[in-house]
Amino acid sequence: MFRKILIANRGEIAVRILRACHEMGIPAVCVYSEVDRTALHVRLSEEAYPIGPAASRESYLRIDKLIDVARKSGCDAIHPGYGFLAENPAFARACADAGIAFIGPSAETMEAMGSKTAGKQLARRSDVLTVPGTDEPLEDAEQAQALAQAMGYPVVLKAVAGGGGKGMRVVAEDGAFASAWRDAASEALNAFGDARVFLEKYLESPRHIEIQILADSHGRVVSLGERECSIQRRHQKVIEEAPSTVVTPELRRKMGEAAVRLARAGGYVNAGTVEFLVDANLNYYFLEVNTRLQVEHPVTEQVTGLDLVKLQIAIAAGHRLPFQWEAISPRGNAIEVRIYAEDPDNNFFPCPGKIVARRTAAGPGIRLDEGVYRGWTVPLEYDPLLSKMIAWGNSREEAIARLRRALDEYTISGIRTNASLFRRILGEPDYLKGEIHTKWLDELLTRPRPPAAEARTGTETAAAIAAAYWESIQPGSGAGSGDSGRPSRWKAEGRRAQVERQP
Amino acid sequence: MKYEIQLDGARGRTRHVVDLEKAGAGYRVLLDGKPVDADVVLAAPNAVSVILNGAAFEVHVAPTLEGGYKLQTGPHEYLANVQDPRAWRGRKGGAVEAEGRQQVIAPMPGKVVRLLVKAGEEVQTGQGLVVVEAMKMQNEIRSPKTGKIERLQVKEGQAVNAGEVLCVVS
Repeated sequence: MFRKILIANRGEIAVRILRACHEMGIPAVCVYSEVDRTALHVRLSEEAYPIGPAASRESYLRIDKLIDVARKSGCDAIHPGYGFLAENPAFARACADAGIAFIGPSAETMEAMGSKTAGKQLARRSDVLTVPGTDEPLEDAEQAQALAQAMGYPVVLKAVAGGGGKGMRVVAEDGAFASAWRDAASEALNAFGDARVFLEKYLESPRHIEIQILADSHGRVVSLGERECSIQRRHQKVIEEAPSTVVTPELRRKMGEAAVRLARAGGYVNAGTVEFLVDANLNYYFLEVNTRLQVEHPVTEQVTGLDLVKLQIAIAAGHRLPFQWEAISPRGNAIEVRIYAEDPDNNFFPCPGKIVARRTAAGPGIRLDEGVYRGWTVPLEYDPLLSKMIAWGNSREEAIARLRRALDEYTISGIRTNASLFRRILGEPDYLKGEIHTKWLDELLTRPRPPAAEARTGTETAAAIAAAYWESIQPGSGAGSGDSGRPSRWKAEGRRAQVERQP
Repeated sequence: MKYEIQLDGARGRTRHVVDLEKAGAGYRVLLDGKPVDADVVLAAPNAVSVILNGAAFEVHVAPTLEGGYKLQTGPHEYLANVQDPRAWRGRKGGAVEAEGRQQVIAPMPGKVVRLLVKAGEEVQTGQGLVVVEAMKMQNEIRSPKTGKIERLQVKEGQAVNAGEVLCVVS
């Protein structure tokens, strides 16, 4: 087993990996940018080193600095988490060159499977159906447009190096092609440093269903079943669940076998995810492979009882997977919501800031994976994911009820969150019946929001009393002291100080 | 001690007068002149627990940069502005022009993309001073008063935190 592991990430996933290391008794090293000095992953760590300014390019994306910290602190393995350098072959190669184990696949495997075009070629070779489209990155706009015309609209442009909906554009008609091409390429360049894009036929209302796999270095590949991630806002996953409401044991076996076949063909080692689009007739088309831990991995952990991060570490250390995949079937239902610091009333714009008050959620079936705490300022430089709330229940209904209950418990003040979005989705009849697809949420959001729920009797009175009480306990408040009826300088100063403490 | 509370919620604006009088360990509470059976305590930092004749509410309070409070209870949110009716004037200037030397602060974290004025320049109330970009949105920060730019504290391209002083108008 490893002597010491460097966690090359931040936020909730750094905390998640740190917890796995602690449970395994492996010392861990964290890294932080200037704005993350007081981040939770640093507070929970026993060893942490600065790696530069807030901008990711100057810190969390600096391969040289990370390798340097790993060397100096005596780490023999690096866990990349997700995002940042997790799918960057140059990073895996730099680790290998430095004699440090990269907790993930090799650079070669990443290149052979991770990019969307390479993944599609591999799928064809392993007899897995893919969405009609181009295998090769496209060279120029005119050639691409001619292909799109031949294929028939709608089509979708996707970044070769992409993920998370960045560098992706749906083109409904020929007139919009040129501008979509420009947008996709420039967004891809900004997000991944690689402007290449490819073209696919766009399926109407498909479901996004993905298979979690684990592959050890001794040739054993297992499927841990599916996650359904059809609730997406502009191609970004918002809610994920396992099992899917449409996947039968038969389909689960077929999709699992396809994913395992593909992983074997690519010589894959590590935890990985094979994403599929599933149409109304339950045909599944290979989409891409994510050669890393997924944001939504806890959903699979809750229904399988496995710890994917610990298994990733064991696999990287050369251990054998201790089970056959036939032994694993999902138990109960798990649903994850991604709580972001973003304003649902303002087009979901990120709204970082200071968390002035917070009530967390707990209790039966509730798991929170998060990197936040009261008093912490959510930086504006990074993805504003605050918490992943995962509910487990014996049935989908119980999981939903627990999630609703926990969302009522979970409150954060000082910053806006998208929690109200989940309350709305979890009340929609389509969602409750599992009648969802990847455009379902975008369509829901074009409909007028239902009127605000009737507040309980007394809510407004309680709010008014709370405001008066809060005012009375502020430093320099007139309450209790001789009140002259004039604005107090002390009070004004207290107010100023209070506001200035706010970021 | 009387407080005039203006609440803006999903169902519009209401005003209430809350009178809090210390009584033993708690308070005697009058709402709009009528006594209310209310038990109010600070349960946790920025979290006020109010029990109204058995009905329990937890209200989270976050100060806003405009001098009000954002109140959150369950899924319900209010913006509260509190005034002591005996005070000369409210904290919120409203249409009234600010007086004296004024610090102009950044209302959100972001980047200064443009300076619209120079130090020493005469400005009018509402005139744009500085453009701050936050989350790809450009926001023009306006002058709270007619006067002269005493000092510009920021440069173009500079990152600013919320609450940071951008310039001083005197």
